[in-house]
Amino acid sequence: MEKKMGVYICTGCGIGDAIDIEPIKDLVDEEFNISICKEHPFLCSPEGVELIKQDIDNEGVNTIIICACSPRVNQDVFFFGPDKIVERVNLREHVAWSQEPKDEDTQMLAEDYVRMGCSKAKDMELPEPFKAEQEYSKDILVVGGGLAGMTAALEVAKAGYKAIIVEKEDSLGGFLKKMKKRVAPPYEDLYDTGLEELVKQVNDNPNIKVYTSAVVEKTSGAPGLFSVQIKTNGSVAEEKVGAIIQATGWVPYDPKRLESLGYGKFKDVITNVELEQMASNGGIKRPSDGQSPKNVLFIQCAGQRDSEHLPYCSSVCCLVTLKQAAYIKEQDPEAVCYVLFKDMRTVGQAEEFYKKSQLAGNIFIRGTITQIGEEGGKLFIEAEDEFLGEKIRLEELDLVVLATGMVPSSQPEETPKMKAPEGAEDADEEGMIEVPPDSGFYAKPALNLEYRQGPELPTLRYGFPDSHFICFPYETRRTGIYTAGCIRRPMETARVIDDATGAAMKAIQCVEMTEKGMAVHPRSGDLSYPEVNLQRCTQCKRCTEECPFGAINEDEKANPLFNPTRCRRCGTCMGACPERVISFKNYSVVMIGNMINVINVPEEEEEKPRILVFVCENDAYPAIDMAGIKRYKWSPYVRFIPLRCLGSLNLVWIADALSRGIDGILLLGCRHGDDYQCHFIKGSELATVRLSKISETLERLALESERVRFEEVGISDYWRIPQIIEDFMNTIEEVGPNPYKGF
Amino acid sequence: MISWNNNALRDVLKEVDYAEEIYKCIQCGMCAGSCPLRHHMDYPPRKIFALLRTGNIDLVLNSKSIFLCTSCYSCIVRCPRGIHVMDIMHGLAHYAIKMGKISRKNTATFGQEFWKQIYKRGRVDEKDLSRRYFFSDGIVQGIKNALSMADMGIIMLLHGRMKLLPEKPIKGIKQLRIMLDKAEQESRR
Amino acid sequence: MKYFLYWGCSLEASGANYLKSLKPVCELLGMEFEEIDDWNCCGASVSYAGARDLSIRVLNARNLALAEMQGGYDIIAPCSSCYIQLIRTNHELREDEKLKEKVNSILREAGLTYNGTVNVRHIVDVLYNDVGIDRIKQKVTRPLSGLKVAGYVGCQSVRPYGEYDSKERPRVQDEILKALGAEPVKFPKKMQCCGSGIFLPEMELCMGLVKDILEDAIAHEAKIVSTVCPMCAMNLELYQGRINQLYNTNIQIPIVYLTQLMAVAFGLDLKEGAFLHMNYIPPEYVIKPILMQGGDSK
Repeated sequence: MEKKMGVYICTGCGIGDAIDIEPIKDLVDEEFNISICKEHPFLCSPEGVELIKQDIDNEGVNTIIICACSPRVNQDVFFFGPDKIVERVNLREHVAWSQEPKDEDTQMLAEDYVRMGCSKAKDMELPEPFKAEQEYSKDILVVGGGLAGMTAALEVAKAGYKAIIVEKEDSLGGFLKKMKKRVAPPYEDLYDTGLEELVKQVNDNPNIKVYTSAVVEKTSGAPGLFSVQIKTNGSVAEEKVGAIIQATGWVPYDPKRLESLGYGKFKDVITNVELEQMASNGGIKRPSDGQSPKNVLFIQCAGQRDSEHLPYCSSVCCLVTLKQAAYIKEQDPEAVCYVLFKDMRTVGQAEEFYKKSQLAGNIFIRGTITQIGEEGGKLFIEAEDEFLGEKIRLEELDLVVLATGMVPSSQPEETPKMKAPEGAEDADEEGMIEVPPDSGFYAKPALNLEYRQGPELPTLRYGFPDSHFICFPYETRRTGIYTAGCIRRPMETARVIDDATGAAMKAIQCVEMTEKGMAVHPRSGDLSYPEVNLQRCTQCKRCTEECPFGAINEDEKANPLFNPTRCRRCGTCMGACPERVISFKNYSVVMIGNMINVINVPEEEEEKPRILVFVCENDAYPAIDMAGIKRYKWSPYVRFIPLRCLGSLNLVWIADALSRGIDGILLLGCRHGDDYQCHFIKGSELATVRLSKISETLERLALESERVRFEEVGISDYWRIPQIIEDFMNTIEEVGPNPYKGF
Repeated sequence: MISWNNNALRDVLKEVDYAEEIYKCIQCGMCAGSCPLRHHMDYPPRKIFALLRTGNIDLVLNSKSIFLCTSCYSCIVRCPRGIHVMDIMHGLAHYAIKMGKISRKNTATFGQEFWKQIYKRGRVDEKDLSRRYFFSDGIVQGIKNALSMADMGIIMLLHGRMKLLPEKPIKGIKQLRIMLDKAEQESRR
Repeated sequence: MKYFLYWGCSLEASGANYLKSLKPVCELLGMEFEEIDDWNCCGASVSYAGARDLSIRVLNARNLALAEMQGGYDIIAPCSSCYIQLIRTNHELREDEKLKEKVNSILREAGLTYNGTVNVRHIVDVLYNDVGIDRIKQKVTRPLSGLKVAGYVGCQSVRPYGEYDSKERPRVQDEILKALGAEPVKFPKKMQCCGSGIFLPEMELCMGLVKDILEDAIAHEAKIVSTVCPMCAMNLELYQGRINQLYNTNIQIPIVYLTQLMAVAFGLDLKEGAFLHMNYIPPEYVIKPILMQGGDSK
């Protein structure tokens, strides 16, 4: 596209009071040869926008550089159609609101930001949406035919899409088949499971196809283009689908490991799962003599919240126990149920059911069991009662029920092993090491993906597939594949239904966006995608290994095979590539490099250091905006460059900047590790890994390692921004100016 | 070591108003935290409830806590489960007196004398109430008690804040007694 | 504005200065009172020793039924104990149809019945909501400027229903004090119980409570404590000497009824209108200098 650029400077919101506009107009013209440069006191007003529109209509402007507020606001106001490039220069939050007005340094800062904006706009191209050669499918595969799977399929079908359920058992229902009743909002009573009705709805729905006694043998392709081989009754069926929902549920924790609580030792010690099955199959009886129990003890957190067993809370067992206590009362109103608990966790309205259970006369004891034994055919326990502060003894117990927890079906019984890389310290005698949980080779088979990074969804902890618990539930580390129900986290049936609905909506979004060539979460709607110049590729595999979403496969010669519909557009591959052959139409190594190059670096004698700050767009950038809104002040010597994700940081930028005389480089990115906040999961972590390798570059340039620093910044850390900058400025002052200035 | 006896609670549930609510207690301790005399209690209210649930009634009825309620309603206002904590404490004190377990004799006597005044006259005569309260242990102790409080009485008298003439019963006293007798019978059902 | 004034047993004796000051103040504000004929005691806080809950409800239902029969005006209970027992009974009878039936079956023994039509009000509620701050202000002729008052709320006037004020952070009494020109101080023990009905038998424990309350008020620069309950007033006032003996303290702070302060501010006679001379700790020493400032030494 032939570019016709126009620069529009807003002087409202204090910008006009803080800086002189004339010098900026001059530099736009002289340095960038842009003849159209206008100012307006209120650019986001209808008159201001009209000013731009007239230039679009009359002058043919198609690349618009708005020098005004943060790009995070007024996006709708400054949208001039998909065929226009808009670049935003943040003169408000990053200059006018955070710097001394009419100061020389403030002016220089504003001028640099305008330079960077013009340079960027010059290098940007309009993205053209990706369109695959094959035909897209909008059908949605649901793996697992339990409550989550059936609900998801029904929601998909209700929205007018086709769903395909693959269930490993010979009938639909999953754990619901074992359940007698369910507790659900408004938590006033027990309700039927509704299984029959649900199965009927699924079977009667023309938009839903069901495979039972079936497993997914192979999944190849990418969102919109998945090809799934389903093995059923000895034959293999093939389905084309656009997105996948994995709802493979949970398995009970193995009670054989709970011998200390009497399981396996005393016949009348059973698990809550066993009790549920008994209840739905004709009644609850003592396994030892078949009698209906009179005194029942429930032991909560059996093998849970315990470092020896499941370290986490399964969140449903409290409610399940309340439900099962109700079964027992229903069977024999004279029966007494004791519940020995650590904490009763009946979340939200479920508290109502707890109250009801209490009023029914069930006895709740907070404490820890110290002994379990048998006396005259009955069980007894001793425990430390925390409420009474005393030892207690419960005798004449007919039945002890262990409230065991939920293990995701993805958790392998034993950690799988893989061949250790050379020189690995923790390799065993056969040269094998344990597969880490965040690998695609860790989880138990369910999808059998033909992905270079492994056949299953990477997990985070305890075998649950990795996704951001709060910010983006249902998402996984494989684009277009969503999880729902107890595979995602332990949850009660009411939550499962919500969850399945959410995942169904996500899957529908995915097939629709994919067809339009758009990215899904978190860069929803982004039309750009990575393009690679394979001729210059050295097959180093960094991109195929580092992509947080496993988007890139490899051919037999280790050439990267990009699957654009699997891509989330974070640019991690671009940051990883040592040959710099990966780029986006509107985001590239060259583009950022040129932005660095236009920064004016004063001579050493001027004593005006320059600090470059690479800022994660997702959390750190809004935090800085917030600091600006709060009118916090910081050094005028810093220059912020937003990045899609710190994962896209290419080390060449650091080398370039330092060799230009920039004194220090600060990276502001999301928290990483187990409680990561990175929107692209691995981006900020990869940036730190890369940074650890920067020393080589610095040594080559004979520069101090203190000149480059990484800081974790969450979206709520705006108050730390001035301090972080000040601390770094102090460090740079100690280290002294960059000797490359003026070269 | 505390053992559990679920049957022991039956009478308490019948004799103590609101006692069934103890099952709702989640042992958060808000009642104790709000109680002005908590420091003087052997068991905080929540523990009274916990003990009741084990069926160890005697520990509860012998506890002085049940007599130390100032009726300030703080526990009722703050209980997250809406338990009538204060009323249960009152009911337990009532039941304890009935069972002859009187851990705080003064308070028990004072309360009983108060009620007797109402039953006798329909109104309370403060002067008569304190006299009866002081003399509840016989004349010798009574004189001692009264003398120990004589300074107070004189102050009150001097400031015109003591009624000299004895209170007369209300007009409807007979009917009132019939009603109160009936209420007491109904309560036991 | 016509009300029933249910003053109860205490206001005839230990709380006499409350009733005596309340009547002229309310008269001045245009309120008219009637007595519930043949009213009985409310049961107060300690009847539970001798009676079950139902008996106490019946006791109060009798008063409510009498009031309903005699004209059904709102009942003003200046004593917090009377107030809480009456309003509680009223609430429960209005909300629990079964209880109402049961209570009425008992009332019928005396030919009475209660339909739940009477409202029970605290005097502070009526002063604030019916009379209103503006009207109170209008009547002030001797503003209590600069008088730092601890407006002690205690327990049973706002708890448990919070009918006219917050249960945890009450402010209505302070608003009235402000209208009188006084300066209500903030003190955290505003809501702590004074020992109420069991003060006498549990004197030693309850003196500790009163000591805490008074020390808190004094520490927050209060020169006088205002109350709206005869039990609070007595417990806070009568035992200060004993407390000083027991704790080796030097507490001495006058305790007055809100209505006494109103009488003073409304220009009534300190003796014949405010009945300050009936207080054990003379409030005149604190109040007179304030009035002198305003050029009034009556």
